[in-house]
Amino acid sequence: MAEAQLPVSVWSPGEDVVEVRRAPAPGAARSFTRAFLETLRGLKTTFARVIEGPVTIQYPEEKVPVYPRFRGRHRLHRFEESGLEKCVGCSLCAAACPADCIRVVAAENTPEHRVSAGERYAAVYEINLSRCIFCGYCEVACPFDAITMGHDYELSDYDRSDLIFTKEMLLAEPLERTPLRREDE
Amino acid sequence: MSSLQGRTLAQGVTLAPLSEDVEEWGGAREHDELFELNFGPHHPATHGVLRLIVTLQGEVVVEVKPIIGYVHTGIEKTAEDKSYWKVIPVLERMDYLSYYFNAMAFCSATERLLELEVPERAQYLRVIHLELNRIMSHLVWLGTSALDLGAISIFWYCFREREAILDLFEMSSGQRMHTRYFQVGGVIEDIPRGFERKLRQFLKVMPARADQYADILNANEIVLQRLRGTCPLSAERLLALGVSGPLLRAAGVPWDLRKATPYSSYERFDFKIPVGTAGDNYDRYAVRHAEIYESVKIIEQALDGLPEGPHITPDRKVSLPPRHELATSMEALIHHFKLVTEGFRVPAGEAYVPIESPRGELACFVRSDGSSKPARVHMRDPSFVNLQALSEMVRGSYIADMIATVAMLDPVLGGIDR
Ligand code: SF4
Ligand code: SF4
Repeated sequence: MAEAQLPVSVWSPGEDVVEVRRAPAPGAARSFTRAFLETLRGLKTTFARVIEGPVTIQYPEEKVPVYPRFRGRHRLHRFEESGLEKCVGCSLCAAACPADCIRVVAAENTPEHRVSAGERYAAVYEINLSRCIFCGYCEVACPFDAITMGHDYELSDYDRSDLIFTKEMLLAEPLERTPLRREDE
Repeated sequence: MSSLQGRTLAQGVTLAPLSEDVEEWGGAREHDELFELNFGPHHPATHGVLRLIVTLQGEVVVEVKPIIGYVHTGIEKTAEDKSYWKVIPVLERMDYLSYYFNAMAFCSATERLLELEVPERAQYLRVIHLELNRIMSHLVWLGTSALDLGAISIFWYCFREREAILDLFEMSSGQRMHTRYFQVGGVIEDIPRGFERKLRQFLKVMPARADQYADILNANEIVLQRLRGTCPLSAERLLALGVSGPLLRAAGVPWDLRKATPYSSYERFDFKIPVGTAGDNYDRYAVRHAEIYESVKIIEQALDGLPEGPHITPDRKVSLPPRHELATSMEALIHHFKLVTEGFRVPAGEAYVPIESPRGELACFVRSDGSSKPARVHMRDPSFVNLQALSEMVRGSYIADMIATVAMLDPVLGGIDR
């Protein structure tokens, strides 16, 4: 269909147009030989892939390593020396969350009961992972690097309520480490 | 009863006239009744939860009515309740095969309202990711469409290359889908070390792989029978129906927004617009297949010419301060608090920004009332508009050709229902 037939005068891209190649009509005279040869060509292409070896891996025995920036299940952190929690219960992460799935209830630290390094700490810190969209905004929002996105991606469970992760669960070391790629691998 | 009586179809089949003397036609009796078939919503050939009510006369389609809304998410309404930066990850989830495009349309509209300049490096990084996303979307389309035509190996091949692209996305943004990599004013992080090398490897492999797909499909007799000459629609009708993208280009109209109204530095890249001649299913296939090569060309140029500089606007009223500043600068901390809790305010006004998505013109309309949340966000999704051409394309063809046409239409239901 030529441009001239169009009801509106469309903008013209000039030289920057290529017409795609049409294939021969099916059922034409040389159809039989062509069908035969093209099938052979297709088979050649598929058989040539055999020597390339498989690209699939045997999950779950073998796991796909993730890149350093991968955003998996969240982790809360402590200071290494003092063991105090980094989170001060400021709720910035909850404010940034587009899925509204973080719940923080802050409480005051007292000299007898010191949980975090700041004035306050998170008495309740829950993430509802069944609502989380793994956007990582909580990690971006936290000014104290208290919450980061970990590397675990195996999150299925039998019960929805088990997907509400509490502070203890988020602070704990993951049972199994997800393999990690080097940055330039 | 039907406008198809006695009409000769594209395949050279003449339909029996539905008259009293139908007996003369011998076996035609069993075909003279119209039959209504419910196709979908859960059917692998509908490419999502699309329901088609098909009226059949024998094996020939008389009318198709698409019923949509099964994955309606109310994302546009949700966006009105969130500050601008929080809209991005939500909005990305509409058309789940072109998430970078969704984010790009929204960010561009917001940037226009803010009259914000996007740094050059960010523009180039956006182009790289947009074109990777285009290839990825076309690969999913090609794999699943070939599956509909009965070719399974293509499906594995396409998903193998798609995997390489998703790895690149994971590397640069941390997520394979719905990356929220684009932010208002630029991209959230610069590309990591090693990204360029890995991308170049991919760019070297991809054209050879696309050649292999062509070897298997281009002149395969089954593909020719199923695609060539089936369900064409003229450029006039496509334009009248508002169809855009590869479907329109397959009918010979060289309409590509990357060339017509260049955005994000597209005017600096040298690439061609593949167009078809007949506007049939074969051209629809060939145009998308040719676009894969063009996208590779664009990415190569963007990577070669990638300018140095910031990856996001340095305007602290809009973009978050760099993390290392949070510990040292009180001012940065205040900006950070303000941006995370309230977000930035956008001057009152309206903006409509169209971009070329893998499926056609994807546009975002944003109206701001001056607050930090958009008053209205609307997406013009190409799948939604293109779907209305389906009925005109398939009327009078076999039901098997309708399957091929739905595949070549490349609808993404997440985008249609929003
Ligand atoms: S990753 Fe996103 S959705 Fe999930 S808890 Fe963090 S901010 Fe909320
Ligand atoms: S995780 Fe960070 S942002 Fe969230 S409450 Fe704790 S300190 Fe504040």
